[in-house]
Amino acid sequence: MNALLSRRAPRLALGLIAPALLLAGWQWLATSGGASAVALAPLGSVAAAFVELVGNGTIFGDIVATLTRAFTGFAIGAGLGVATGTATAVWPLLNRVIAPLLNALRQVPMIGWLPLIGLWFGTGEGSELIVVCLGAFFPAMLNTHAGIANVEQRYLDVGEVFRFTTGQRFRRILLPAAMPLILTGLTQALAFAWIGTLASELLMGAGGGLGVTLQTAQVQQRLDVILVTVAITAILGFAINQIIARVRREVLRWQPASI
Amino acid sequence: MSAEPFPRPNVESSAPLRGELTNSDLDKSFTIGGQARPVLENINLTVRPGEFVSIVGASGCGKSTLLRLIVGLDSEYGGEIRLDGERIATTSLDRGIVFQDHRLFPWMTLEQNVELALLNTDTPKARRAAIVAEHIALVGLSGFEKAYPHQLSGGMAQRAAIARALVTEPKVLLLDEPLGALDALTRVHVQNELQRMWLAQRSTMVMVTHDVEEALYLGDRVIVMSPHPGRVRRIVEVGLPHPRDRRSPLLHRLKDEILAELTGNPAGEPANLVTFPARESR
Amino acid sequence: MASRPLPLPAPAAATAGRSPFAPLAAPLSLLAVWQLACMSGLFPPQVLVPPSEVARTLWLMAGSGELERHIGDSLYRLAFGFAIGALAGLAFGAAIALSRLAEAAFSPLFLTLWQVPVIAFIPTMVLFLGINEPFKIAIVAVAAFFPIALATFDAVRGVPRAWFEVARVYRTRLPDLVRRILIPATVPAVLTGLRIALTRAWIVLVAAELLAADSGIGQMMEMGRQLFQLDVVLAGVVVSGLIGFLLDRGAREIERRATKWRTA
Repeated sequence: MNALLSRRAPRLALGLIAPALLLAGWQWLATSGGASAVALAPLGSVAAAFVELVGNGTIFGDIVATLTRAFTGFAIGAGLGVATGTATAVWPLLNRVIAPLLNALRQVPMIGWLPLIGLWFGTGEGSELIVVCLGAFFPAMLNTHAGIANVEQRYLDVGEVFRFTTGQRFRRILLPAAMPLILTGLTQALAFAWIGTLASELLMGAGGGLGVTLQTAQVQQRLDVILVTVAITAILGFAINQIIARVRREVLRWQPASI
Repeated sequence: MSAEPFPRPNVESSAPLRGELTNSDLDKSFTIGGQARPVLENINLTVRPGEFVSIVGASGCGKSTLLRLIVGLDSEYGGEIRLDGERIATTSLDRGIVFQDHRLFPWMTLEQNVELALLNTDTPKARRAAIVAEHIALVGLSGFEKAYPHQLSGGMAQRAAIARALVTEPKVLLLDEPLGALDALTRVHVQNELQRMWLAQRSTMVMVTHDVEEALYLGDRVIVMSPHPGRVRRIVEVGLPHPRDRRSPLLHRLKDEILAELTGNPAGEPANLVTFPARESR
Repeated sequence: MASRPLPLPAPAAATAGRSPFAPLAAPLSLLAVWQLACMSGLFPPQVLVPPSEVARTLWLMAGSGELERHIGDSLYRLAFGFAIGALAGLAFGAAIALSRLAEAAFSPLFLTLWQVPVIAFIPTMVLFLGINEPFKIAIVAVAAFFPIALATFDAVRGVPRAWFEVARVYRTRLPDLVRRILIPATVPAVLTGLRIALTRAWIVLVAAELLAADSGIGQMMEMGRQLFQLDVVLAGVVVSGLIGFLLDRGAREIERRATKWRTA
């Protein structure tokens, strides 16, 4: 058995059994006309929905809208987060003043802000972007702060021995030493931005995007459209993860390969 | 390797010897739990220009603290430390240090790490690459310029750290247990290298170590310190020319003497045997 | 979507001093800034109501039993859903960690589904389960399932082989092996997974309640928004933040006690 499992082909085949069973059960339920058939769309109609969405191009518009929103929000939120985290790590006084505020604010889950933001700024695209920025801000800030504040004294000693200026100290020691944690923060920030994008689109429904399509399809009871959209979400999420992992490997080439 | 056995990078052979280090009435204490605890007391020590001085002593005798004071990482002390007559208050490119952990920046290649030391010197930018290459060659690491620290072995990393410390041509080089973390064989090898480099560069060197043999092999003088608080207990002149032979009977005799002094056992007598207390009762 | 529950960064408050009142500094200073902002007259009351007003609203809602009902409903869904998700996650994670056959059969499907933010499952589940209690409990269970399954898998796989070898050297019997090695070795990582899952489940529950519910903290906020009751929305923000905070703290405390041996 183990010998079989260590080969690639049998493993792959085995991995396909569970999804295949799921799909078969699905198809059976959808066509058998039981109580759940109202909700279930036969596999054929899911495929048709895919063809339809790709054919008329709406899905590409959604993808572009969602990715634009996610990355714009990530850039703004994470950018501010890294800047704030750096500032609070470098100036302890500033940290004393604003850390308590930020710590209290970050206890509220990103999604908890949605109604308030809706009330303040309406339920438009601007509000959606604010939610995404907010989601990206905190992980970027916290990790950057932790990274820079915890740079080992022994490295700072070396900088002192070689008479580094403040700027050199920052650029040559603090920043590179903190880089692994900053990247972790950016990774988390992107994950939060991604979730925030879908959540805000789902809940506010403005300006198009995968979440908006999900919401509309739910109202129209179009399970086929929902499934296609969820599948695309999964693929995009996977792709984003892969890209991040690559960027991280590239930037942190100097680190010994982890186990 | 060049034909000259000991390449002397950028040192004018006629340059006057420099780097006289004087410690007079040096005191240092740390405040622990609201109480001042003396770490160093009444240290008086003059290191002659170009001399190699080793400092040995048990843990807690303040030898590493002494180096931190001399290099200028800590400026709160009583008494005087002067280099060529100038009082030491902060760090300076005249004083280099090699730490026990090599402290190369892991995010930079070997070459970049060494070049970093030249950042705030007035060495012309155009000359830097050549000087860096020379010093990497001096420590025998040519070919590893582009390696990251985690790709170097412990001994190589420590030699790289020595190159980084030497590249600014400090008047004084301080070595804080530079070989403490190396295995015995690598250690002997790097000791030989260190002696060769010192002969090539002839800057003043002060090395702190646990290893009495190492202290004697490299040092013109060996300072024996006693702990709590750290004091100079004895100064041993090693009257042998460099490069030295490890097998020299004088070195061995001095080693026995110093070890006896440090452990409190008369020389030549074996340490008390340890007995397992539980054995008899079983 | 992240492929792994990322370690939470150390709280930035580490530098905030050691006074016994330090934990109160954060909320109190926020309240002070908030109150000052309102008193400055920069914000009209339609935009920002002072904390005193929010406190009054909370007091009134608490008096009428409304707040208790919302919190109670939310916490009931959280507890029920989390229990299901946690048990399923522990069982599934342990199964795919211990059996290579189970791993080969189920991990591809698992990892594919793991790429989807749980929130994106909401429309599907609404279609299947409607918008009543089963939906909310199910979405919490799903949100909890994934991080716990992954943490359990990592924990069981991460037990060093050397420890099993030690057990063999001393001829440890199976029950002792489980009790003295397997469980202590996996508990810390599993507890961390449970804690992360708990806070995530809370976020997802609030989102689900915002979308579709007749009670709960999320619904309370959403109703407040639709009726332009800023004080109610802010009260909801405060309560949801407080609950999230307390859940995280409570879980950390349990984690700390259960893993004392690590730092001792």
